[in-house]
Formats: sequence, structure tokens, C-alpha cells
Amino acid sequence: MTPISLKAIASEFPKTVQPNDFFGDEERRPTGGMFRGASLRHHMEPGQTAVELICAATQKIQDQVGGDLASEIDIILTNVSLPDLPFTGCGAEVAKSLGAKPMWVFDLHNHGCVSFISMMSLAQSLMTTSNAKKALICNVQTAGGRIFADQELRKEPQAAVPGDGCGVALIEVGDERPIEHISVECFAENASDMQISSRDNRKWWEPGASQFQIDFSRAKVAKVIQRGNRLVPDIVNKACSGAGISTDEIGTLVTNQPNRIFLRNWREALQVPEDQHVDTFEEHGNLFGAGIPVCIERAEKEGKLEDDSYLVLGGFSHAGDYAASAVIRWKATS
Amino acid sequence: MSNFNAQVKGIPGLKRIEEFSRDQMGELCVEETRSVYPHEQIYGPYCTIEEYINCPPSDVFEYLADVYSLEEWTWSTRGLVEGDEPGLVVGWDRLADDTKIFCRTISNKDAMTVDYHCAWDQGKQLWMIYLMRVVPAQLVLGKPGSVVIWSNCHHPNYDKNPHPETAPKDRETWVGDLWPFFYAGHVVEMQNLKKILEHRHAKGQTIRPWKTTSSPAPMQAAMCK
Repeated sequence: MTPISLKAIASEFPKTVQPNDFFGDEERRPTGGMFRGASLRHHMEPGQTAVELICAATQKIQDQVGGDLASEIDIILTNVSLPDLPFTGCGAEVAKSLGAKPMWVFDLHNHGCVSFISMMSLAQSLMTTSNAKKALICNVQTAGGRIFADQELRKEPQAAVPGDGCGVALIEVGDERPIEHISVECFAENASDMQISSRDNRKWWEPGASQFQIDFSRAKVAKVIQRGNRLVPDIVNKACSGAGISTDEIGTLVTNQPNRIFLRNWREALQVPEDQHVDTFEEHGNLFGAGIPVCIERAEKEGKLEDDSYLVLGGFSHAGDYAASAVIRWKATS
Repeated sequence: MSNFNAQVKGIPGLKRIEEFSRDQMGELCVEETRSVYPHEQIYGPYCTIEEYINCPPSDVFEYLADVYSLEEWTWSTRGLVEGDEPGLVVGWDRLADDTKIFCRTISNKDAMTVDYHCAWDQGKQLWMIYLMRVVPAQLVLGKPGSVVIWSNCHHPNYDKNPHPETAPKDRETWVGDLWPFFYAGHVVEMQNLKKILEHRHAKGQTIRPWKTTSSPAPMQAAMCK
């Protein structure tokens, strides 16, 4: 495989910030477990697009790396939790807005919370089999403002958890800041355990008055917790083993940010001290796929990523249909 | 005198000091002693919990051996009354809607074991078995009181309801879906048991108040949900 590096990373958020009292009602404030709420989270504004957030984050990367990024982008990969439009995806619109002429554009709608890692893997495959040199990997979570701000739905405990935001990374051929190993696995047996439902029982594309929501029955919550507890330490162990390091050598751990319980359980299982595990849940909620790049940027800004340390990414998606992990050697860049 | 070594010869996989040295055993123990253990490894096939209770073993045994104590120390078993057969009681498990729980208690005073043979929805096959053992703390911890050990085994019926025709219509929850939460749930109930028994023992109160009141608990609790 062609060696690839994580060159730069940036985030962008909608301006709207919703506090906890936006959600629930007197009797049904979220209190604990899977759906314990964050303190704050951003919400997409009506009319705001994922394309706008991606372009704003990309401009920050342009400011970091200099040159004329738009003319050098060979690959654009996006994952948007609730896309701006059905059918088309937003990658081509991103290219149009940036003035880029990439050879590959893919909008992925699966892989959810680990799609950042899956897209790194896909970029590496494309770079290995073509002369593509630079890829933009774009994650946008939009479901907070687009679904969970709904007048009725926001009374549900789970509505307080998702938060919107965008993370974009520039991946390049080279070993400047090398991605040492990526593990991605699909667990097809878990594929049907996340459903969406609505009060009027319609299909989500059918017309109707009530918003749909992600559906976890009480029985499924038990199964998903059990799976998540197991899948993430397992896949991180595999990626570390593939990179030839032990989990003791994890300098910084970045996982998806589903809730406080998982974050605690994963770092306990991997024995990573709390201050080496990036946590943005309190102010951003569950950023779905954007959680990992946003956390990497946070770690970089806070100076957590020491030269020549290992940054390890890991997570699982939906109800456990995918798990992924990556090991990045964080070298000082010139 | 039997030749024990000869008797087990030929049984594959045994590790006994005759063939498995102190050094080998030492290495194995170091290898198998981890800092953390996955939840499923510890609480997957079996779920055993234990607790110290500052109450005499005879009282703890007497309390547990009376099935109506479940109304007090469990989180959700309520409304127990005598069932169709001697020794069989039936009540409600309020963990789920409209869910009956059947229970037969088999206890052994000498061994101080109390086994609750239970099932949701029907009383013909009591496959959910709660194995409790009371141990005098004086023997094992060198202090007064009791140690209670409580085990459940992951019967295949937890994974698939063997009698779906007896389940209430539209009930989405099956008891086995919650197996991953058994450790947490049973700890809550064990703490209830500890608090009730320690409170009554410390205050010199009767351990089973429903035996002394004029209207016994089973009648009060008539099949309410």
C-alpha cells in the first residue's frame, strides 16, 4: 500500500448552540445511561448546508498548508449523516464551491461514526491504485438541527445527545505523519438493530406530520452497550497489533463520542488514562462521524499530540455494524 | 489405597503437578492474570455475585427461603400468591408489562442453599434458576454475619423464548434480552437484601414481618400490577 499521512485537520460548527433546557420536559429530562445529555450542542440552522460547513473547514486547512489546495485535490470523500439532498450527495458541490477538479468523488452514507477511518482507508486504496496524491475527507453531522430540534421529538431523552458539526482532514501520499495501520470490520449480524421510527408509523420517505427518530428498544440498548464495550477495544487492539505497537504505547486515544459511559468503558478496557482520551461530548454532544476529526483537531490545538507519539483512533457505528481503528504516528511537521 | 495418578492417566488436557511443573504453573498464572477482563468473559456464560451481610446466617437463610421475601428485596417481583400446584407461587415481574412470573423455592437448611426455580409467563418449565448460598462469615471472613453468593447460568432460553405462545401480546421485552444487564441488576437487588437484613438485625426487628402481621403479605398483594 502507498504510505499516506494525515497532513492537516480542521472543524466548523453551525452558530446555533442549544442548551439542555431546549430538550425534554419537566417529567422527562434525560437522566442517565446511553442518553445522558451533553451540556451544549450545535444545531444546523434552517437552510444551512453540509457543503457550506465543509468549505469553511477546508478554508482553515488551506490557511494551514498554504499553496493552492483546490487545484491539488485529487480525491473528495464525504459522509453526511442526514445529507443536504437525497440522491446526489454533496461531494460534487464541494468540488464546485472550492473550484477543485478531483479525479475521485465519493459520498458515503454508511460507516456512520467510524466513517472518518473508513474514508482514510478508502483514500489509501485509491492512492495506491492511481496517481492521486491528496484527499479531502469530510465528515458532517447534521441530524441534531435537522431531526432532533423538532418540536415534538426534542421532548424525547435521546434528542439531547446528537450535536452537529463538521471535521475535514487533508490526507496526502507520504510518510510525513504516517498512518501506520487501519483496521475496518463489518459485523453484518448487527446490521438490522438500528431502526428509525415515527409516531405515525410511516416510512421515512412517506408524507406525514411527525418527525422520525432513531429507535433503540430497551432490549436493544442492552445489546448495543455490550457490543460497543467489546467491539472498540477489540478493533483498537487489532490496529495496534497491525502497527506493531502495544496499547501501552497509545499516546492519545480518539474515539467516536456516543456518550460518557462508552468513553469511560473504552479507556478503562484499553487502560488509557482519562487525560489521554479526548472528550468533546460535554460541549458538542454526539457528533457521529464528525466526532473523530473534531477530537483530533482538539487534541492538536491543546498540544496533546506530542512529537513521535502514537495517535490511535477507534470506534463503532450505529448498533455495531462496523468497527474501525487506525494508528497514526504523529511526527513534527516542518 | 487408590492410585490416583494412574486413574487419571490418559485423560487429555489435565494440568497436575506430576506433569505440569511449578515453573509451568507459575508462567501460566502470570499469563492469565490480567488487569482488566471483558464484561462478557466474566458475566457472559454465568453471572455470579457475592456480598457480606451483617446479619446471622440462620436469619439470612430463613429470610431467603421464604419466597415472599422476593417482594421486598427484588427490584420488580411483586404480587406473589400461591399457584395451582403446592409450592408454586405466581406474581408479576414489573420489569415488563403484563408479565407473570412463576416460582418454586427449593432450599436446604443444612447446606444453607436457596434455589428459586422461575419462569416468565408459564409455570410448567421453570428454567430461570437463581442459585443462592449463605455462608457463615465467621468461617470465611472471621467476623459475624453472612456471605451470600448468588449465581445464574445463561440458559439458552434467555436467548429465545421457548414458549412464545404464553407471552402477552405486543410485549417487546424478553427477559434474556437483558442478560448483559444481569450483573448490574442483581447488584442492585443484593444491596436491597443487605440493607433490609442489616436494618432489621441492627434494630432487633423480626426478620420476616409478614409472618407476624394479621393479614399476610400474599393476601394484601392480590394480583396487582
